[in-house]
Amino acid sequence: MKKSVMLLVIVMLLAAVLSAAAENVTLNVVTSYGGDDGNRANFEAAVAEYEAQTGNKVNDGSATSNEEWKARVLTDFETGSEPDVLFFFTNADAEPFIKAGKVVSIDEIRAEYPDYATNMKDSMLAVASDGKNYAVPSYGFWENMFVNKSVLDACGIAVPGPDYTWDQFLADCQTILDNGYTPIACSLVEVPHYWFEFVVMNNGTIDNQLDVPTSMDDAAAAKWVAGLNDIKDLYERGFFPKNTLTATDAETVAMFGEGEAAFLIDGSWKVGYFTGNHEDTLEDYVISYVPGKGDRKASEAIGGISMGYFITTKAWEDPAKREAAVEFVSYLTSDDVLSRFVTTEVTALVNGAKPEGLNILQQSAADANASITGVVGAVQDTITSEAKGDLFGNVQNVVTGKMTAEEAVASAIALN
Amino acid sequence: MKSMIYKKKSPLLVFLVPAFLFIIVFLYYPFFRNIINTFLSIGGLGRAAEGVNTPWYENYQRLFTDPYMRTAMKNTAILIVCTVVFQVGIALGLALLVDNIKRGQQFFRTVYFFPIVISATALGLMFNLIFLYKGGMINQLLLNLGMINYEVKSNGRMIVEWIDWKDKAHFMFTMFLPVMWQYVGFYFVIIVTGINNIPTDLYEAAALDGADGWKKTIYITLPMLRNVLRTCLVLAITGALKVFDLPWVMFGAGMPENNGWLTGTYMYDQTFNRMNVDYGSTIAVFIVVLGIILSNAANRLIKPSEDL
Repeated sequence: MKKSVMLLVIVMLLAAVLSAAAENVTLNVVTSYGGDDGNRANFEAAVAEYEAQTGNKVNDGSATSNEEWKARVLTDFETGSEPDVLFFFTNADAEPFIKAGKVVSIDEIRAEYPDYATNMKDSMLAVASDGKNYAVPSYGFWENMFVNKSVLDACGIAVPGPDYTWDQFLADCQTILDNGYTPIACSLVEVPHYWFEFVVMNNGTIDNQLDVPTSMDDAAAAKWVAGLNDIKDLYERGFFPKNTLTATDAETVAMFGEGEAAFLIDGSWKVGYFTGNHEDTLEDYVISYVPGKGDRKASEAIGGISMGYFITTKAWEDPAKREAAVEFVSYLTSDDVLSRFVTTEVTALVNGAKPEGLNILQQSAADANASITGVVGAVQDTITSEAKGDLFGNVQNVVTGKMTAEEAVASAIALN
Repeated sequence: MKSMIYKKKSPLLVFLVPAFLFIIVFLYYPFFRNIINTFLSIGGLGRAAEGVNTPWYENYQRLFTDPYMRTAMKNTAILIVCTVVFQVGIALGLALLVDNIKRGQQFFRTVYFFPIVISATALGLMFNLIFLYKGGMINQLLLNLGMINYEVKSNGRMIVEWIDWKDKAHFMFTMFLPVMWQYVGFYFVIIVTGINNIPTDLYEAAALDGADGWKKTIYITLPMLRNVLRTCLVLAITGALKVFDLPWVMFGAGMPENNGWLTGTYMYDQTFNRMNVDYGSTIAVFIVVLGIILSNAANRLIKPSEDL
């Protein structure tokens, strides 16, 4: 009898130990909510809540999203050191690990967890090249022109509206330069892609924005070349910061934030950055429109839902991590949590996000978005990492005349 | 009674074989595999090769025609010269000075060695702030000293002509200074240890012969340091060929305008950012070959003294 009781106690103790061990799962998570991302604080808070609710731990390997980060994530997959949960781009960038079977489809997860991502509109889930959905979408983005009103006021220039033209923009930039300010805050060595998207659209239309050149003879190549030459023209006029070819993105954004530069093309994520880092001067910033040229109207912008949460096959096949990964993604993409990340961005939530208490800059973004007449995805998201790295790496060569725009585009086509 | 360990060699093998296997598996095998990779077409780390390049020596052909590789080699050659002259040179000077003081030798050893233990990333970020364009420490200092021009516009706005320490005219100084600064302490410690190993009777005998401090340095210390300096030279050359972390943090991919490449940073960029693994492997092989050639040349230049 005594032996049976002892055995029972031992079994119960073992079960308790094992269940405690099962509860303390450590998830390796990689996201782009690193560095100065505007939603960094929201992400940290959501992770802390998840940890408190589940008892699991999260190893946060987040970093700022740029080409190097993307390459590092892809390399991690290729070398077998991928995370358990990844918040990443859902476009062509994700194809290498999707094709390698290193992430699990939403259908496969729903077979075991029927409620997984059911708060999302299925029609808005990103579709991979094999026709399946893998990522649970978070929220969309827009890219548009941020304007520092204090600089424009000092130069006697009105805040641009949705009918802003390229010629007006060039004239305004000259006035701003003459008054001792930098017209455009941009690091051409680090983030030329923001300007590239809009100058390409300025030399085409919103409808053919996503056309990718396959040879130098097609129309897409011509508009890419014309777009690069527009950037070169702005550079030669001295509208970019003097150190645009050596400055980091953070430096030029700070320049804009501190009232040294007038215009900045950036994305919806920067609203959070300015809210967190320039709270005292928030009324100086306005979301405006990138000047239009040719058939493109200034009210047409870049946008869409381009990122989402993937669960990797490695985590899915690990019995200890499977449920933790599903719970993590479900929590981070729940209506309540996602609403905290969103101010003016579109989401795939069936019930929609419910952002509260917009500040003056967020309200400005909402107002600008209300006047947007068209949105299209970024063409850079449809080309390979190799081609993208080459194209954007060559922008500095084009503006300094070391390479022609034709040579830069031809080089990118060869790598795509 | 002599220990059996000197007569029976087999126990030594027990300790030598695992280390030997480890180095074969984790160093020599990857290195020879890397040589094979230079002839293949590989579009990403971990990806299978898509076949042999056409022609098979394509990457080696490219290596000698690639303008960025030429830039990388030129910059690395300058870095090697600077390393030998400034890192080893300054370290030697400091070591000789410290050896001549009676108190505080340990203090100076620690102070000069300290930069070595700081992570290169942290140092890179620190020097980024020092050399920052607007409001960086050096630019502010120069402005306050009146060495930077500024203009006051009619609207009262002051336009300062900040110095861009990362532009084509200044990048080499900005890139090399932190590298020099970080490793002076490393060579300093090696040389100081070398000086301490010189028998004191030599100095005592020289003193009896009337040699003063300077003569002792010229005729005793430096000749006796010959082998130590030779080691420092080889370490400096091979170290300069591999320099990566600090320049990468400060200058990224070839800044400014692709003039700032080093062999190490160019290899990393090709392999990890451009996913051109086979070409990155070729650059890696080239770095190793160059390292072997240059260190052999250095060894021949300063032949080991048979008297020491």
